[in-house]
Amino acid sequence: MAAGPAPPGGCPSAQRPHLSKMERVVVSMQDPDQGVKMRSQRLLITVIPHAVAGSDIVEWLIQKYCISEEEALHLGTLLVRHGYLYPLRDPLSLLLQPDDTPYRFQTPYFWTSTQWPAAELDYAIYLAKKNIRKQGALVDHEKEHYNQLHRKISHTWDLVVMQAREQLRAAKQRRKGDRLVIACQEQTFWLVHRPPTKNMDFYRREIEYCRKALGRTRVKSSVCLEAYLKFSSQHGPHDPIMSGCLPSNPWIADSDTYWVVNAPSVAAPTKLRVDRWGFSFRELLEDPVGRAHFMEFLRKEFSAENLSFWEACEELRHGGQAQVPALVDAVYEQFLAPGAARWVNIDSHTMERTLEGLRRPHRYVLDDAQLHIYMLMKKDSYPRFLKSDMYRGLLAEAVVPPETKWRVFPFMRKPRRSSPSPALLASMEPAAAAGGPRGGDGEA
Amino acid sequence: MAREECKALLDALNKATACYHHLVLTVGSSADSQNLREELQKTRQKAQELAVAARAQLTAALRDRGLGAEERAEFERLWVAFSGCLDLLEADMRRALALGTAFPLHAPRRPLVHTGVTGGAAGIAARALSVRSLRHEAERDFDVNDLRELEREVLQVGEMIHDMEMKVNVPRWTVQARQAAGAELLSGAGASSVGGVSTEGRRRPCDLSKALAAAVFSAVLLVAVALAVCVAKLS
Repeated sequence: MAAGPAPPGGCPSAQRPHLSKMERVVVSMQDPDQGVKMRSQRLLITVIPHAVAGSDIVEWLIQKYCISEEEALHLGTLLVRHGYLYPLRDPLSLLLQPDDTPYRFQTPYFWTSTQWPAAELDYAIYLAKKNIRKQGALVDHEKEHYNQLHRKISHTWDLVVMQAREQLRAAKQRRKGDRLVIACQEQTFWLVHRPPTKNMDFYRREIEYCRKALGRTRVKSSVCLEAYLKFSSQHGPHDPIMSGCLPSNPWIADSDTYWVVNAPSVAAPTKLRVDRWGFSFRELLEDPVGRAHFMEFLRKEFSAENLSFWEACEELRHGGQAQVPALVDAVYEQFLAPGAARWVNIDSHTMERTLEGLRRPHRYVLDDAQLHIYMLMKKDSYPRFLKSDMYRGLLAEAVVPPETKWRVFPFMRKPRRSSPSPALLASMEPAAAAGGPRGGDGEA
Repeated sequence: MAREECKALLDALNKATACYHHLVLTVGSSADSQNLREELQKTRQKAQELAVAARAQLTAALRDRGLGAEERAEFERLWVAFSGCLDLLEADMRRALALGTAFPLHAPRRPLVHTGVTGGAAGIAARALSVRSLRHEAERDFDVNDLRELEREVLQVGEMIHDMEMKVNVPRWTVQARQAAGAELLSGAGASSVGGVSTEGRRRPCDLSKALAAAVFSAVLLVAVALAVCVAKLS
């Protein structure tokens, strides 16, 4: 069923590698030989196995990952806070105590990654079950949640009550020890996913989520579809699968002329490629040959510093973190300083913002200026480039590689080059190894 | 009557879903075994049969245009509960598939999580199938084939849900549930479900038998005390 207004922990479709890492740690703890030492928990009549002490966990973590005690404690606390371990005596305190306090592992069904996002219907069923078991004595925040849920999903309340009753009846079929453990597991799961106190983190995340949701651009589906159709019709003739590729498909004709002719930096671009530069400014900039020709054109127009500035900003964005301060300084000296050699024309607002950002340089500090220059080039220089003689000349010169003719007789075709089969390589390997160092440069 | 049949089917489906939920809870934990996977399969197949039967009845009833307003409201209520139940079942089946793939039973070092649950769950599966006890008759590689079947069944259930939504148009927000908040505390009261009535019915004979046993016991005790007194007096 639908999740709440903001799924806890941010966007549900974002990757959560931290969860899979924690799960791997938990699974390696279960190893019968090298895992954590398990004890039994003795209640009045029942004995429940598979309890671990906090100190054992810390010790195991230190030994397995060669980390300090502080780090092991922190890691253990993370495991508890995300619900992979739960304390047996004080279920509300989600911390790892490095002493004798017993903990137990959470069943994979209630792991965060299996149950993402925690559904409201499930929570309602859990609260109804608790209500029945405790005869109406729910804790404050649970009562609040219960009333809230009843208002939200009152139409399925029949199902909630039916399922709660049936689940309790089904649970009675288990042994007492198992029943206790399962109740603890469920309780832990809901403590983790619907924490009793909504702390600062929770509200901060909610605000962030709502802000991002408001800021998303919304486009009418008709506009979207039109753009999609236009793109498909424009790029149809350029797609090698839809419209065939010249000179020949490398996978069929076994010749790589197609790749050679369309290499990133080639002296004579094909006609299709030059056509593509006219589709959008982005296509032109993404093609190295196109970018080089555009740079030549700008030099003739005496506005080459725009493209150089843009390229320098791209390098800053995608370059190494250690080079960021040096690069920012270099870019400032060359392009933005008042008397710079290649001064770029940015409007005063953007310049002010950029100069302020330069006080604390980071990777994206020149984003505003870069965007401004990009739009300038796109609106101004790019249309002129397309109308220029240079571009027309390129179009006229562009080659159309001829299609290779299929030979009539199959055995007259160029002999196919076959790579050595893996079976042959494998049999050559031991022979080469047996040959020893005297074999010299290997044959394999 | 069609309504009673639908309610009975819905209750049975509800029971099967709840039992399936309980069985899926332990997949991947120390209680996981071939038997558990077999119980899961039997329970979910039963649940699917019930779902198909209930869907047929409910769809037939809701597409009948000559239905009175009150009857229609009743059927819509059942429909909402039914589709919610089916959603829960599908979610649990998906999770069972994910967990079953992640925790294979025949890996050389079984990566099962020691959770403290060790008992068998045959009673739960028996309850779902409404039989007294369950026989386990699976071969060795049962879980591998079972996972493939489970994948297919998950898709089937998904299709069924989609089909349902397309055929019958019940706006959920217009349905008023019979149960109010806190209704679960009134155990068995209210005539909203056949299950409620049957639990009351089942309790009455229990009480009767308990009362009978107590009466017999106290009578025997009195006779024994009387005999002892007589023996004491005579001797």
